[in-house]
Amino acid sequence: MPHSLLPTGRAGGVPPFFSFRRSFALAALLLSSLASAGQVAAPRATAPKAATPRVAPPKATAAVRGRTTVDFAKGFTISYVPGGKVVTILSPFEQKTTATRYLLVPRGAARPKGYADAIVIETPLRTLVGLSSMHVALVDFLGAADVLVGLGNLKYASAPRVRQRIAAGKIIEAGQGKELNNEQLIAQHPDLVMATGWPGEGLTRYQTLQAAGVPVMINSEWVESTPLGRAEWVKVVAALLDKEDLVNQKFGQVVREYQRLAALGHRAAKKPRVIVGLPFKDVWHVPDADSYMAQFLRDAGTTYQWDKTKSPQGSLALSFEAVAPVALTADYWLQTGTATTKADIVAQDARYAAFAPFKTGRLYNNNRRTNAQGSNDYWESGAVRPDLLLADLIKILHPELLPTWQLYYYQQVK
Amino acid sequence: MRPAQLSAAPASLAAGPRRPAWLLALAGLVLLGFVLDIALGPVRIPVLAVVKTLLGQPTDNPAWAFIVREIRLPKALTALAVGSGLAVSGLQMQTLFRNPLAGPSALGLTAGAGLGVAVVMLAGGSVANGFAIRALGLAGSWTLVLAATTGAGLVMALVLALSARVRDNVVLLIVGLMLASVTGAIVSLWQYFSAPEQIQEYLLWTFGSLGGVVGSHLAVLAAVVGVGLVLAFASAKPLNALLLGENYARSMGLTVGRSRTLIIASTSLLAGAITAFCGPIGFVGIAVPHLTRALLRTADHRLLLPGACLVGAALTLACDCVAQLPGSQTSLPLSVVTSLLGAPVVLWVVLRRQNIRSSLT
Repeated sequence: MPHSLLPTGRAGGVPPFFSFRRSFALAALLLSSLASAGQVAAPRATAPKAATPRVAPPKATAAVRGRTTVDFAKGFTISYVPGGKVVTILSPFEQKTTATRYLLVPRGAARPKGYADAIVIETPLRTLVGLSSMHVALVDFLGAADVLVGLGNLKYASAPRVRQRIAAGKIIEAGQGKELNNEQLIAQHPDLVMATGWPGEGLTRYQTLQAAGVPVMINSEWVESTPLGRAEWVKVVAALLDKEDLVNQKFGQVVREYQRLAALGHRAAKKPRVIVGLPFKDVWHVPDADSYMAQFLRDAGTTYQWDKTKSPQGSLALSFEAVAPVALTADYWLQTGTATTKADIVAQDARYAAFAPFKTGRLYNNNRRTNAQGSNDYWESGAVRPDLLLADLIKILHPELLPTWQLYYYQQVK
Repeated sequence: MRPAQLSAAPASLAAGPRRPAWLLALAGLVLLGFVLDIALGPVRIPVLAVVKTLLGQPTDNPAWAFIVREIRLPKALTALAVGSGLAVSGLQMQTLFRNPLAGPSALGLTAGAGLGVAVVMLAGGSVANGFAIRALGLAGSWTLVLAATTGAGLVMALVLALSARVRDNVVLLIVGLMLASVTGAIVSLWQYFSAPEQIQEYLLWTFGSLGGVVGSHLAVLAAVVGVGLVLAFASAKPLNALLLGENYARSMGLTVGRSRTLIIASTSLLAGAITAFCGPIGFVGIAVPHLTRALLRTADHRLLLPGACLVGAALTLACDCVAQLPGSQTSLPLSVVTSLLGAPVVLWVVLRRQNIRSSLT
């Protein structure tokens, strides 16, 4: 249940394995990125239709041609300057905002003056190495999976086109963190290496690559507090690929569909009580008020016990005892993590069988789209398709509102 | 150390008349800790309701019954087993090795259990064996217990086999530490090549926890700890003799080899089972023997063993009460609390009684 464990990246300069919080964060963001990268094409190919057809004419695309604006995300900005674009990656959770600036210039054009501190990237990207599977989702959403020439871990990709390219040997495994294959990356010299991590500080890990002239961009989509904000990171990739018009159109569709579904969820007469995640012994990590998962639960029309509880870590590490009273009488139990059957759940701890959702069978896990390699598309395409995710949640919690929707990422735990 | 202090050790073997009173007081403390541990927690439950629940009567809120019977009671019972088991195994190791720094992990058992758990958690899916374990449907809590037991058991077998060849206890101690080092390195290597989600699972395990030991788990843990404690109590006399050195023990007619095997077996059962069910819980095993010796002012294991049981249980219960952070919804990992609270206590005791080493050597 990694996403609910997301921290805000406040931890100091401790190596990840020595910080509990941080290793969770690392796990969460790697997992989400590992899994979330490859899958925008697949929903289009096989996703069931939503109850009502998606609205065709974009509402607010009064945007200038070839430009896009950032409406939901707090973690980056895009501005258009004479001779190029400036993409700034922010750290929204730190008082002293760390910002890394990237100057995007058309390939071969002169570098505009006045951006001495910025890292220069030539656009459109021809080759990209994405260290997390979130990056698979980002490029695939724009139909640009072919620019991917390297991935952190080849196991964690779900998008069919990316899997094909992996099978054809066109994507190398670049490794992660300490195991990053610097020599191979430098030899390959991609136009950009996209990593996941803590804004600012994260870049120091990739000094070797940068010294060799390979630009590195830190993507911190996991700090966003809303599903749409998280998905909007596709605009960063769009700016890198000069695909602003396409992203305006496609992301606009996702936004409209999400907002239509959220309106349905908010209007729902009954707000079922939900619990999220699976405890481990004494500890139950649940999403806090500022997490995008809490926003999903709000938009899906639920009653969530910790809807107002904020935590600097992005998730709450509650004692099992504090969650148990809620779980005993909850209506639904979502995201049972590694336990994929009821037998698994009881095997972990027999006490879980006492929870009402376990007895009524209203148990749903987000693992329907786990492939043979063990990569779960929920963490990949799910990150850029919050509309599909919300439809799933509404279908589970208010089946009458979306009678024809077929669950896409979730499935009942049996 | 001055010769005068050296001679204090044999003298203190004779128990003073007031020592049983101390044991009674400690038993009262354990009872108090047990009650507090059940009464306090993140969820505020009126004491009356706790008592009613324990007596099987219905209360205003059905969730309270679940919390008291399914969460707090098993946890308090686990704390009893863990506290007394670790304290006694630590005491045995300190006496056997005549080393104040020895503890339940001195023989490499904890590390062995950790390796067993790592095999399941980190290798699952990547190594055929681990995958097979999961495919067998053993997933869940019993898998971890079995894996940790196997790991600890293998190390124990190795230590026992070596102890038959190695006469010198100091060498045996070094062997144990080296075994721990090797198994630790294997786990690190595994972590290095594992997916973050697997490392996260493993990390959670390494924090140690009294929670989640319920039903049949609790029964097995209690049974094994019981057997371990009986073995330990049976070796009270050999332990007393060993305090004076192996040669002296031999001259008193003690079969050192057999006693040593008994002590190692008892420690292995205690430390192995506790680590298997609760993960590594630091500090109790090293600190409690010192506390007990300081409190009872004796080196007689006929008193020290029950004393360590009680002090260990009381300390673990107290630490668990604090770990629950009454009034907040969060709880802290137990081994963090035992170390944070325990270390100053031991420092205080040791600094007040600077001749503590005399009761060991």
